[in-house]
Amino acid sequence: MLQPSPPLVIDIYHDGSAFAEEVIGDLQHLKLAKRLRLKAFRDWRPDALLPHPTLLVLADFAAQLEQPLCCTEQLLILPFQLDAKKLLLWPGDSLVWPLSVPLLSKQIQLLVQRFQCAHQLRSMQESLAWHARQVEREYELVENIFQNALSRNFTDYPHIRTLLAPAAKFNGDLCLVAPGPTGSLYVMMADFTGHGLAPATGALPLSQAFFAMADRSVSVAEMVTEFNYRLHRLLPNEMFCACFLLELAANGERLTYWNGGMPPALVYDDQGAIKHRLKAQHVALGVLPTEEFDAQVSSIRTSASDRVAIYTDGVIEMLSQRHEFLGLKSLECYLQAYPQLRDFDRLIHKLEHFRGDEPLHDDMSLAILACCPTGLAPARAESEARALPFSFITELNADDLRQVDVVSAILGIIGHLPNLRYHRTTLYLLLAEVFNNALEHSLLGLDSRIKDEPEGFTYYYQLRAERLQQLSKGMIRVEVSYQPRSAHIYFTLSHNGTRWQPQSQAALAGQERSHGRGLELLRHLASPLIWHEDGRTVEFGYYLTPTRSTASTTG
Amino acid sequence: MSVVRHLSSDGKELTIAIHGKFDFGIVQEFRRAYSSLGDQKPTVYVDLRQTEYLDSSALGMLLNMRKAISDHVKGIHIINCSAEVSNILDISRFDKLFVIE
Repeated sequence: MLQPSPPLVIDIYHDGSAFAEEVIGDLQHLKLAKRLRLKAFRDWRPDALLPHPTLLVLADFAAQLEQPLCCTEQLLILPFQLDAKKLLLWPGDSLVWPLSVPLLSKQIQLLVQRFQCAHQLRSMQESLAWHARQVEREYELVENIFQNALSRNFTDYPHIRTLLAPAAKFNGDLCLVAPGPTGSLYVMMADFTGHGLAPATGALPLSQAFFAMADRSVSVAEMVTEFNYRLHRLLPNEMFCACFLLELAANGERLTYWNGGMPPALVYDDQGAIKHRLKAQHVALGVLPTEEFDAQVSSIRTSASDRVAIYTDGVIEMLSQRHEFLGLKSLECYLQAYPQLRDFDRLIHKLEHFRGDEPLHDDMSLAILACCPTGLAPARAESEARALPFSFITELNADDLRQVDVVSAILGIIGHLPNLRYHRTTLYLLLAEVFNNALEHSLLGLDSRIKDEPEGFTYYYQLRAERLQQLSKGMIRVEVSYQPRSAHIYFTLSHNGTRWQPQSQAALAGQERSHGRGLELLRHLASPLIWHEDGRTVEFGYYLTPTRSTASTTG
Repeated sequence: MSVVRHLSSDGKELTIAIHGKFDFGIVQEFRRAYSSLGDQKPTVYVDLRQTEYLDSSALGMLLNMRKAISDHVKGIHIINCSAEVSNILDISRFDKLFVIE
C-alpha cells in the first residue's frame, strides 16, 4: 500500500537564477515524474499544504526558509558553496549541488516516498476525523431519541428513588415508571444482555409498549406477554432481556409482580427487616415463543411502611477495588442500615465507597419504592372545548333488534366523541337500563320477578334470548341530542310494546334483591327522568360533569 | 376472551378479569370462572381494570357470585375500578358487600 510509484507531477519552485536553470535542466533528463511543474519561488509559502512532492532550487538561502513548514516533505537544493550552518535553519530535507545522478535519483525517490506516506496518513486522519464526527452526530441523534422515548418516564414520582449507572455511553438497563388510569403505579426494571448501544436499542420498543399499556391499565400478566412477543421477534438469538415488572395498587396494599431472570427484589419494612424476596420464577423476556411463555404473576400484601428494592445484577456483581463482588448479603445489609427513602443518597454513597475507583463492568440500576397509597388521581375527565352539538334518531324494527347489539352500537357512535368519552361507561349503563326495560318487559313480555327464583337469573336471560329470536314485530326509537354548552346529553326512547309502570323507590329497598337495581341507578344518575304514555316513552338527561370520585381527588 | 381467570400458584388468590363489556352476555363464562376454587379458601379479586361497559345485570352477576361462594372464600375484592365504575358501585352500595379497592 505504501509502495512508492512514480509521481505524476513534481513541483519545482526556483528563483530563476543560472544555478536553478542548470539544475532544472539536469533534472528534466532524469525522468523523475511525468511532468515537472516549474513555479516562481516568490509564490512559495511555508504554510501551504502541498499537492505534489516539491523541490526548491535556489542560488542563495532566503529568509522565508527559516519559517516552520506545514509539510516537511520538500527538498531544498542549493549550491555547495553556501554556508552549511544556514542549511540547519531549514526545517525540511536538503542537498547540495552538484551530486552524482544515482544519489540524486535516490534522494528524490525518498522524497516522493515520504510525501506519499504523509499524504496517505493525512487522508486517513481526515477520514478518521470524519467518521468520529459522524459517530458523535449519530450518538447525539440516538441520545435524543432515547430522551424522547423516556420523556414520559415518571421518575419524579415522590415515593420512588432510582439510580441508573450505565457502564458505557448507552444503558442496557431500563427503569420505567408510569401511573395507571386507576391510580395504580407500574414500575419496570429490565436488563438487556450486554451493555452499550446494541442492548439499549431494545429499550425503545419495550418502553413504548410499556407506556402505551400502562395508559390502558393493562394487567402485569398481559404486559409481559406482549413484551415477550415483541422481544422474541426482535432480538437476535443470543440476546434477551431480564425483567421485573410490578404494579402497586392505588391504596398501596397490593403489589403484583412478574420476575423473569432478575435477582430477587427485596421487600423490607421501615426497620429494615426483610419480609419477602421476590425471586425469579420465569426465564427472561425474548427467550420463549408465546406458546411456551408463562405469564403467571404473583402478588403480596404490602403496607405503607414497606419498601421494595429492585435492582439489576450489576449491583450485586459490582466489583470492589480488591476485586470482590458486593453480593446479595451485603446489599441486604446496606438496605437494612438505610431503610428510609430519605437515606437513599447515603445508601448510594456506601455503594460508591465499596466500588472505590474500580470502573463499572456492567450497567447498574437500583430503584426503591415505598408502598404507600400512590396518591395518583384516576384519569381525569377533562373538559374538551369545541365539541359540536348534535342529535340523531335511530328507529329499530324487529329485525334490527334481533341482529344488532343496539346499546353498544349507539355507544360506538357517540362514546368516543370529545367530552362524552369520559362518561361512556355511565352513558352505556343508563341507556342499557332504559333500553333493556323497553325490550325485555314491553316487547318480550318478561317479568323481572323470574330472577327471584333459584337459578332464575340464568333462566331469565335464556328466555330473553329465546323470545328475542322469535320477535317478529315491535319498534324501538332512540333519539339522542347533545348540547356542549350546557354539558347535557338527552335521550328519548319510545316503543310500541305493552304499557309499563316503574316500581316506586320504596318497593326497591334491600341490598341483595335480584332486580330493580337498574332503576335505582337511573334515578340517581339521570336528570331529568320522565315516563310518558304509559311508560311507552321515557326521556332522560345526563350532566357531563366530572364523576364524584374524580372530583374528590382533583378538587 | 372477555373473562380471564387466574389462580395463583399457591392457590391463595383467584383473579377474575373482565374485559370490555360486563353484562349477561358473559354470564356462563363468568360462572365458570369461579366454579372451581381449589381447597385453599382463596381471596377472590374481580379485576375491572379493562371493563369498559357494565349494566345492572353485571351487578346481579356479582351478587350471584357472592351468594354462591362467600362461604368458601376468604373475601371478594373488586379491584382497579375506574372513577365511573366506582361511582356506579357506590350508588348500589356494593361497598357494604364487597371490598372495593
